Formats: sequence, C-alpha cells, structure tokens
Amino acid sequence: MAAIIETRNLTKRYGKLNAVEDVTLTVEAGAIYGFVGPNGAGKTTTMRILTTLLQPTSGHAWVAGRSVTQDPRGVRRAIGYMPDFFGVYDDMKVWEYLDFFAACYEVPEAQRVGLVNDLLELVDLAHRKDDFVDTLSRGMQQRLCLARTLAHDPQVLILDEPASGLDPRARVEIRELLVELSRLGKTIFFSTHILADVAEICTEIGIVEAGRLVAHGTPEDMQRRLIPHRRINITLLGRVEEAKQALQATGLVTKVEEPGNGANGDGGRITLHVDFTGDDTGVADLLSKLVTLGIPVVHLSEDTRDLEEVFMRATKGIVS
Amino acid sequence: MTESTAPSAAPKRLGTLRERLLANPVTLKELRGRMRGTRAFVVLTVYLVLMSGFASLLYFAYAASTNVTSGPQGQIVGKIVFGGIVGIELFLVCFISPAFTAGAISGERERRTYDLLRTTLLPARSLVTGKLTSAASFIILLLLAAIPLQSLAFLLGGVAPEEVLIAQGILITTALAFGTVGVFFSALMRRTLGASVLTYTFALLSTLGLPLLLLTLVPITSVFYYNSPEPLVEALLIYGGGFLVAINPIATAVATEVILVQEHTAFYFTIPLNNGVTIPLISPWLIYIPFYLLLSAVLLILSIAIVRRVEK
Repeated sequence: MAAIIETRNLTKRYGKLNAVEDVTLTVEAGAIYGFVGPNGAGKTTTMRILTTLLQPTSGHAWVAGRSVTQDPRGVRRAIGYMPDFFGVYDDMKVWEYLDFFAACYEVPEAQRVGLVNDLLELVDLAHRKDDFVDTLSRGMQQRLCLARTLAHDPQVLILDEPASGLDPRARVEIRELLVELSRLGKTIFFSTHILADVAEICTEIGIVEAGRLVAHGTPEDMQRRLIPHRRINITLLGRVEEAKQALQATGLVTKVEEPGNGANGDGGRITLHVDFTGDDTGVADLLSKLVTLGIPVVHLSEDTRDLEEVFMRATKGIVS
Repeated sequence: MTESTAPSAAPKRLGTLRERLLANPVTLKELRGRMRGTRAFVVLTVYLVLMSGFASLLYFAYAASTNVTSGPQGQIVGKIVFGGIVGIELFLVCFISPAFTAGAISGERERRTYDLLRTTLLPARSLVTGKLTSAASFIILLLLAAIPLQSLAFLLGGVAPEEVLIAQGILITTALAFGTVGVFFSALMRRTLGASVLTYTFALLSTLGLPLLLLTLVPITSVFYYNSPEPLVEALLIYGGGFLVAINPIATAVATEVILVQEHTAFYFTIPLNNGVTIPLISPWLIYIPFYLLLSAVLLILSIAIVRRVEK
C-alpha cells in the first residue's frame, strides 16, 4: 500500500524547546493510525504541521503526495481536520454549520442540501438538524465536527483527541464512527490518550515522547518487540495443578499466577494468569493441548493491558 | 457520500450583485447571524428613534426662536436639520463601524473556530472581505434607513442635491474605512479586547485628536501667517491645514459645507495669499474620500496578508 502521510526528519523548535524532533513516519492509505503520547509530547504540533497550520523548522511532510509547505491548498483539499479544542458558532443551526463549511470547501450549492442530510445521517444527528449548534451536547458537537471534516470527501482525517472529554457512551460512538469511516475508505490519523481505543481500532501506532517518535508499527509488532511475553488469562473449572503442569511443559510459559486461593470466581471458576512467549499458533496449540487433556477451560483471553505495557516500556516519562 | 469525487472549484461567472455577495460563505453566514432574531430589528429601531428625536429637537429648538414655515428662515432650518442628522450619523458611524468589525478575526480565534476555517479551502481574501462586507452592509442599511429623516430637510429647502450626495459619500466612505480599520486590528491582535482598544484609539484620534492637533497648530501657524511669511510658506501652511481638515470626517463635512455656502462650489475654488496671488484649492471631501478609500484598500490587503500567514 502507498503511504498517504509521510514525514521526513520533521522538526519544530520554539526557541530552545524541541516540540517535534526529527520525526520520520509513514501512514499507509486506509490505515487507522493511533498517535499516542503523553501531554506535551508533540502530537498536536505534528498534526498542526500536517494540516498546514504551522511551518516546520526543518524537515518535510507530505499528505496525499502533496507537500504541506509547498502545496498547502492541495493538502487542505485532501484532509479533514478536527482540533483537540474547537468552538462552535452560537448563532448557527446544525444544518447551517455543515452547509457553511461545505461552502468553504467549495462544494457547489446544488449538492450541499443532499450532502448535509447524508452527513447528519452518518453521525446520527439528523433529528437535531434545525437546532442551534451551541445547544448540542459535547458528544454531539464532537460528532458534528467529525461530519464537518467529511464535507469535501477527503482522503485523510486528522483528528486530535477526538474522544477527549466525552462520556463512555459518546466515546464508544466516536470509536464506532471511526471504524465506519475507515470502512468507507478514509485514512484516519488520530491522537489519543486512551489506550483502549488504540487497542480496539488501530491498525498502526506511533508512540511519541518529548517530540520524538520512540516506537511505531502495528500493535502486534510493537507488542512482540517491546514485550517479550504476552499475558494470557485462562479460566478453568478445576484440575488446576494438572493445567499448570501442562502449561509448563510447553516450554513457552515463563510464569503462571493463580490469584487468591482456589475457587476465586463465580461457580468455582479459577483464572490463571500466564506469561507466554509463543505466537498466535502457540496460543492455539496451548488451548488445544488443555482441551485434549480434558481440562475444563471455559475462557481464554489475551490481557488488554499489554498495550499499556507497550506504552510504558516505549516511553520514559519525559515531557519536552 | 464517499462515492462522490472531491468537489471541484465553484464555477466562476459574473452573477448579480446579490449572487456575488452571497457566493462568499462568510458573508452569508455573518449576514444570517446578524439579521437573525430581534437583534437587528431592535438596533435599527433604537437608531431611528434616536435620530428622529434628535432631528425633532433641532427643528423645535430653532422653530421656537423664529418663524420657520417658509422663506429664507425655513432654508436655514432645513440646512440645520440636514447638517445635524448627517453630523450625528457621521459620529455614530465612526464609533459603530469598529464595534461591528473589531472582533471579526480575533473573535474566530477566541471562539476556536479560526483553525477550522484555516484548514478549509476558504481563501484568506474571502474570510476578510466576507467579514467586512457583512458589517458594512448593516451599517449601510442604517444609513439608508436614515435617508427619509434627512429628506425632512428637503421640505424646508436650503439643501442642494450635491450636498446630499457628498454627505452619503462621506458617510459610506467613513463606514467602510473605520470598518476596515477594525478588521485590520482584529487580524493583527490575538484578542478582541486589544483589537477594540486599538480601533477605538484610531477612531478617537481621527475624529477628536486631529481637531485638537489643529487647535494647537493654528495659534503657532497664525504667528507665521500674520508675520507676512514667504508666499511659498504661506501656501504650504494652507495646504497642510487643508490636508489635516481633509483627513478628519467631521471637519471634512463641516468644511465642505462652509465652502459650499461661502464659495458656492463643491469642487474647486481659489483663495488669495497675503501678496495678492491666488492659489487653487479643492473641497476637502475630494481628498477625504480617495484618502480613506486608499487607506481601506491598504489595510484590507494587509489584513489578508496577516490571515494568510502561516504560524511559525
């Protein structure tokens, strides 16, 4: 797949402060790229450069093959941008808001009525079409802003903390929308603090700290590189000692933890936390072996905290 | 939605003035917001009530002292009512125009909508002119709404058609110029408060500051003048003073009227120097309007350049 976002040695300095330092990254077309990092890591600065709002001190950046410094208008045509903090006009109706931005993106007037209706349907705000924008909840405003980014059918969506400040339901709705948009062929480049969102939907991740890109790749790749083992949770109905022996016998298990003492769950369920160094095939073999031995396995899952561990290992807690 | 291709640029064609005005999304949005609800109606009503009250006050104050139903006295009242209305309109325009535009760009920054606009295909030119056009349109609406009040003076006589035209020219130029000053400072400053302070400082300096400057300069220049200076110095003093008059809206209006009454011309006249040589002069409005239109154009270009600038 071709790279739709590319930066080469991108650097932004404010006096002595390096907000972004020598960042080289590529995002492939169709990816959902999670740009993760602590506050002040340089995520917003990088996004502002990519959206033509800020001049880099040095280095280059291209979006959809266009240079952000040499062809800003071409870049703007290719992107939809949602900043981390954005305002709404207090004297505008929902449909007027979308119509206004569609006009700013040079969508012809004749197409705008249909477009506004489609966008409102997509973000589930059709029922609030004639309400004033400032009467919408934060989650609705976030969805409306997302609809706004789509007004000109861009190839890339650059979203700065799209789920910040939202309640859990609104967060899930935004996440589902991003997946839906990815299915519609958009490349999504978004920054977030919420690692659960990243684990759930991202096909690629970049971790930044103190302005530097400290790790990047697919979530699986990063886990493999940064965490030598994976944490698997196996829930059994009994025969724990037998299961432990079987696990150790694989040679890929480095540690087995059994929290509590005996029946630690509902209905006599016992959960074992297993540090496993094998790959996906190894996990499948492990499960197969337990089942073959007749050990009553009721649940097997991989620990989602792994991404937090990836993040903690990749970053050192430095803020530029 | 995703099946549609990226929209191409809107076809350029020469439409009607309305079409061309509303082709700019910013103008349409601003006008929609400005005229929505009762706000515009209330502003217009209060403005006209105040203007009517002022016109009535002028009329009755003068009528109480003399018989003004017709004849030369009526013409004087006509001139006073017309001059009074134009004067108060001019003063209001000087201070209302900045209020409509001093938050034009900085307001977008404060509302955190500026970046949203900057990443669209909207040219900086359209953002700036859209803001100015919508504000100027509303001010021109206020001026047009007051024309029936000015026309009361026509019943009494004494007001020539060129006076009316010149007055409208000065008023519209002032609205445009002071509005542009507001837009410029709004683009320059991050906060509307700062932009408002600078815009009103400009408004105060150009309306009240220059007369104060003239008051200071006149006694000094009089010394030169009455000491029979060189004709060249004398001419320069007259032209310099004339230019200062011509860059002040109120002084321009008053001086144009005085010249119209005394010299019977709205354009060109001569005055004699101490040595008997006459020098040519033009009525101040002929300098005022081009000067402020040029200033508006320069500030508009600078505002567009500021908005277009990418943050470093």
